Amino acid sequence: MLQFLENIFGPSWIVSLIAFLISTTVILIVTPVTFMMMTWFERRIVARMQDRLGPNRVGPAGLLQAVADGVKMFTKENITPRAADKWVHLIAPLVATGPVIFLFAVIPWGYGLSPVDINVSVLFVIAVSSISAVGLMMGGWGSNNKFALLGAMRAVAQMVSYEIPAVIALLSMVLFTGTMNLNKYTELQGGLPILGNTLKDVIPDLGLGWFVFTPIGLVGFMIFFICILSEGERTPFDIPEADSEIVAGYMTEYSGMKFAVFYMGQFLFNYALSMVASIIFLGGWNFPGIPQLISIAPPIGALASAVVLGAKAWFLFFVMIWLRGAFPRLRMDQLMAFAWKFLLPLALINILSAALWLTIMLWCTGDCTQNPWVFTVGGINPLGWLGNSPVLRQLVGFVLTAIINAGAFFWLLNVNRRPAGETPADLARDQAFGTASLP
Amino acid sequence: MTVEFDRGKAYVVDRGQPKLRAGQGMIAGLDVVIRHFFSAFTKKLETPDETSGVFTVQYPEERLAMPEAFRNFPILLFDDTTGQELCTSCFQCERICPPQVIHMTQAVDPTTGKPVPAVAEFMIEYDACMSCGLCAEVCPFDAIKMDHDFELATDDRAGMTVRKADLDRPVSYYETIAPTRWAEVKDGAYKKLQGNIKRRSGSIGLSPRAATAPKKAAPAAAKPAAGVAKPVAVKTAMPMAAPGKNMSEEKLARLLSIRAANVAKAGGAAPAEAEEVLATADTDDVAEAPAAVAAARPVSSGGIPFSADNLLGGVPANTTMAEDKVERLKSIRSGNLARRG
Ligand code: SF4
Ligand code: SF4
Repeated sequence: MLQFLENIFGPSWIVSLIAFLISTTVILIVTPVTFMMMTWFERRIVARMQDRLGPNRVGPAGLLQAVADGVKMFTKENITPRAADKWVHLIAPLVATGPVIFLFAVIPWGYGLSPVDINVSVLFVIAVSSISAVGLMMGGWGSNNKFALLGAMRAVAQMVSYEIPAVIALLSMVLFTGTMNLNKYTELQGGLPILGNTLKDVIPDLGLGWFVFTPIGLVGFMIFFICILSEGERTPFDIPEADSEIVAGYMTEYSGMKFAVFYMGQFLFNYALSMVASIIFLGGWNFPGIPQLISIAPPIGALASAVVLGAKAWFLFFVMIWLRGAFPRLRMDQLMAFAWKFLLPLALINILSAALWLTIMLWCTGDCTQNPWVFTVGGINPLGWLGNSPVLRQLVGFVLTAIINAGAFFWLLNVNRRPAGETPADLARDQAFGTASLP
Repeated sequence: MTVEFDRGKAYVVDRGQPKLRAGQGMIAGLDVVIRHFFSAFTKKLETPDETSGVFTVQYPEERLAMPEAFRNFPILLFDDTTGQELCTSCFQCERICPPQVIHMTQAVDPTTGKPVPAVAEFMIEYDACMSCGLCAEVCPFDAIKMDHDFELATDDRAGMTVRKADLDRPVSYYETIAPTRWAEVKDGAYKKLQGNIKRRSGSIGLSPRAATAPKKAAPAAAKPAAGVAKPVAVKTAMPMAAPGKNMSEEKLARLLSIRAANVAKAGGAAPAEAEEVLATADTDDVAEAPAAVAAARPVSSGGIPFSADNLLGGVPANTTMAEDKVERLKSIRSGNLARRG
């Protein structure tokens, strides 16, 4: 936007101001509308999964249901418990939701459609998204309600735990691509599955070189997706607001618009992280035909890319609803064990895989003597046989990382299944006495 | 799949493999859910042994057929051809009703002064009826039956006290909603009715509905959704079925005042009419009831404490009501009592 206006009017502070105002307005309009559509979508989809119809009375196919809900929310009484910490109680929804809307500032909506193009947008996303945990804790603490406090503590524990594997999963991708700029990820994922852009001269750009097709990207995507389920408090990780246990968690004492703001923050968080996952792992706005469209007619290409990216994010949201329709809620200890004993080691191994891949790709390419990557073992370059062909190197990297990641996956599954510290002898004795724990 | 056995049948749902390896259960769960998701777009669930398809009935547009034994609120039956009510005022239903919401007075032959097997006024407080159906179970004459109409929501609480004129339905209506149940009892009921008609004279026992339009009553009532649904119809004027004085006076007067105590909030309408209503309390003209209500209670809308006194007397002593009016009401009531005496 800024670039566009500067091209027309020339640079001046007024132009910058107007450009940012327009971007802000667009974000502040698009995000609540997205939220409304998400609530409608979720209710309709989960209804079909449960053999129901879902809201279908307000507007065509119930599309205006969210508007009706909005009216209801606005007219509801705004209750603040007498014993609550009034200011904390009031500000908490804003603190929880504000950062989520910040995220949309750095997330590109499509080709050339990023409100702010900063170099470290991945870092920004990670940093800003964890601020909402503060809002949740404020809501739980300020409500002066034991259920709210329990919910808030659960929420914070969960968000902090799952932040770590999520960040490490993103880190492996940052290592893999060498950039933290969300705008760059799409270009890197053109071409063919697995091979990426390496055969650009032979085969036209299909826009299918998504990182999710590489072993590192696949594991990273799985970890990241599970983590965003957890951070966005989606089933099966909706423990902070487990309504059958602790009423509504940190939202227990909230009603009316304050509740709606919390709710909006949660849904938008899901959406923003789905966008990030689509950009980093699912090829951004890459799709067969889109790269060509962008090079032929940039405005139409930009529009089409926004549609494609949106479709990917909505698909991920659909998967979230699907999981919600299928799975029950985890227990708190299962949740923690899963994060710390399974996801975190897997993410760490994934980083090693990414490093290995990078080594294979860069080892002694080009002029070998100038390259910093020159190490020889007994005077022989151990990877010299790969030559300079990126295709061969990529295939070798694929096979190696696939073996490592798959091995790590099954090894961790196995390790986690056995109770800690139990040797086969222990197990045999326990079985003999009938006290063996279930597998 | 269904399994038949002598007491009926059971629906068996195929749940797939009983034993799953790690992770398979999650995938199986996702698979089940997504199959339901897609089938819900194409299929409607018809019988309970199907395991997928939308089962929602879009209520106001689509309705499920009521089972015959469905019971909502009781109604009284009258014969289509003669217009005679089946009820003999035997008080069985009034006695069995757990929340005691049935009230009635027996009809009296004006010439002999003897009670006859017919009911002069019948009243059910639908708002407190708990739809137990005991009244219909116990009625020896099959005169009271449970209706299927359940769309009775209203903001008019007084209208939920329904009188005979609005309780009456022709037998043909009941036959449409519960044909087999009526067929079982039909012969006995008509036989008893014939015996009872012989002991009735004049217009006693004639349904107010049948009296106005004996021929049209059946088709009008056959459409339950159209007209019968509204207990508010209490306000429709009815021709008097039983002229002259009879035993219902005192009772009805009390009932009116009970209602008055219950409703009470309506302000300011023609207090003069109240005495008339109470004086000629045998009237079926329930259109006067709100007026009586208005008169029996003071105009003030908030100040009357809820008490047994309010309910029974209808004339709280400590209110702003004019003393002379209280006196007049009392004298009317004692006059009625004396006349019956
Ligand atoms: S259905 Fe039950 S509660 Fe209602 S009037 Fe009959 S006996 Fe009384
Ligand atoms: S409705 Fe039946 S039980 Fe009740 S008084 Fe009439 S005849 Fe008797």
